[in-house]
Amino acid sequence: MKGINKILGIGGLLLFVWLATWVFSDLLTEHQWSFLTAYNQENLLKRIALFGIIGIGVAFVIITGGIDLSIGSVICLVGVGFPWLLMEKDWPLALALPTVLLVAAGIGLIHGLLITKLKLQPFVVTLCGLLIYRGVSRGFTGDQTQGFQNSFQGLKVLATGKIPLTASFGLPMPVVFLLVVALASAFFLNQTVYGRHLKALGNNEEAARFSGIHTDRMIISAYVICSSLAGLGGLLFVLDVNSAQPVDFGNFYELYAIAAAVLGGCSLRGGEGTILGVIIGTAVMRVLNNSINLIDWISKNIELAVIGSVILAGVIVDELAKRMIAKRRSKMDKE
Amino acid sequence: MKNGLLVAGCMLLLSACGGDGSGSGDGKKPVSRLAFVTNGVADFWTIGQAGALKAGQELGVDVQVLMPAGGISEQKDILEDLITKGVDGVAVSPIDPVNQTAILNEVAGRAKLITHDSDAPDSKRLYYIGTDNYKAGRMCGQLVKEVLPEGGALMIFIGRMEQENSKRRRQGLIDELLDRSDDPTRYDAPGKVIKGSKYTVLGTLTDQFDRAKAKANAEDALSRYPDLKCMVGLFAYNPPLILQALAQGGKLGQVKVVAFDEDDETLQGIIDGNVYGTVVQNPYQYGYKSIEVLNQVLEGDLSDLPESGFIDIPARLIRKDNVEVFWEDLKKKLATPKRQEEVKPTEGAGEPIGKG
Repeated sequence: MKGINKILGIGGLLLFVWLATWVFSDLLTEHQWSFLTAYNQENLLKRIALFGIIGIGVAFVIITGGIDLSIGSVICLVGVGFPWLLMEKDWPLALALPTVLLVAAGIGLIHGLLITKLKLQPFVVTLCGLLIYRGVSRGFTGDQTQGFQNSFQGLKVLATGKIPLTASFGLPMPVVFLLVVALASAFFLNQTVYGRHLKALGNNEEAARFSGIHTDRMIISAYVICSSLAGLGGLLFVLDVNSAQPVDFGNFYELYAIAAAVLGGCSLRGGEGTILGVIIGTAVMRVLNNSINLIDWISKNIELAVIGSVILAGVIVDELAKRMIAKRRSKMDKE
Repeated sequence: MKNGLLVAGCMLLLSACGGDGSGSGDGKKPVSRLAFVTNGVADFWTIGQAGALKAGQELGVDVQVLMPAGGISEQKDILEDLITKGVDGVAVSPIDPVNQTAILNEVAGRAKLITHDSDAPDSKRLYYIGTDNYKAGRMCGQLVKEVLPEGGALMIFIGRMEQENSKRRRQGLIDELLDRSDDPTRYDAPGKVIKGSKYTVLGTLTDQFDRAKAKANAEDALSRYPDLKCMVGLFAYNPPLILQALAQGGKLGQVKVVAFDEDDETLQGIIDGNVYGTVVQNPYQYGYKSIEVLNQVLEGDLSDLPESGFIDIPARLIRKDNVEVFWEDLKKKLATPKRQEEVKPTEGAGEPIGKG
């Protein structure tokens, strides 16, 4: 029940932001409609999918009560490493693709092992990861931009292609990836023992361990999932943009992912979170981002302030609503 | 709960609106909507913005200036959103021209596209407005020759090397110092010491726009090379940080400084005699000319635009003799306000063309 309330709340926020953008960018201007065009909605869906994938990844970690700050740097590592292997090192695609994904998964494995076996704090481990992978990416590329230029057109379809639904509107390919990832994750979390164990351990790790759950194994797999999805995200991001600069590619993306997860109902204390919530949370942030570019009177340089304020407002309203409901309930109980 | 969210959101949007509720015009004849997109956030671009907005004001077109803070992916988002908005013309400084052909051509398919500052020759852009950075680099080399006629060792400081313009700028400087022939395609790897008959380039240090790193680079060069004669800062913020490092090391005046671009501290340094001179591009003209050319293209008036597609905004040398005049002029230009629709028509300055 609590989950459904959350989804309704954040869904309401999305609807509001979406409608407000439509009103301000289309209805209240004399220019032709822009926000509601198929072109823009396709772009939006694509961006939501790309950021949604990494948001789902970090949700797994957050549900265990952990955090992953290295996502942006993993995106960078994969984002520059993949074209670097293909274009500079002339690796075959069949080797380069699994390599970068395995590297990403391996990073998650190392994080998980350090956190569970050495009992290091997730914040520290992944903060160091943030620094290390960014530095490594800049090191092996010599800070040079890595891109595909005109090669690998077929591969780029994975990120830039569309599945035509109507004459003018097509479903961007990244959305397909998002759907697969989201459905698999939701099934995992809600329908399998694994998922229930993950939430149980997020609520109370000690209790979960005493009740016989292999908590270490669960935590390690959460970090592996998170880094793997960051790797997949990095792959799709670089295929979409066509090139990546080691110095700023994926910069801050971990914070966007964490914000989307929190906005979508994940508690940083662990134990709570839904996949649908994370996707809606991501959507709120992407629509806001889009609206700032489309609405003339919002200046581009206050973008972060607008996004931050809306998230904060969402979280505050959610908290107040929760208290109101609790109060009403206790009143009803007394009567 | 949903209501609460709505109310909170409304308040936010209203506060974001912040007393600037002018909205759009009164819906007379449609005004051309043009966008000036930079490759990052920098003071250099604030000057460019002033030029673009001034041109918008004088020509009666709506100009929007967008500076991506998040690198190439954000620049792509901005370009996509400009297509969505249906602007009539876009002037962009592409961050990674070789790999951005697809998105640039997408823009070119829906609006008039020109490049400024950095070119994308493979794209369908109509014109490129910029400075020949190789030539500008050679001019910088002339300054070094003037300040160190006897020769000596120098160090180059630059933001990043992957941009075409920074490569060419640095190469021009090196080629001038080594008295080589003009060849913008030459490339000396940054790690190596480059020795000429009189001048030795000890190295090139990059900082990736990280100011703290840029300062540390200058400090480290000073401690590592006691015989350093000259420091050349090739990105706008490099010379001021070199000056700070020199001042803190008590070496102001001992080590000569040659600069690029027109940071306030650089110009003050020239006045104070701590910087020998600087090579200035003309970001104001990038902005102004971009809007002017886009407007000409939209009106179908191509008569005075060059066949080659390259519109050169030449660099200039600023030394002690002309720095004050230059700075005064720059300040005047920076005082230019705001977007066209938000400003009253200008009095005096040129006849209002106001086609809208």
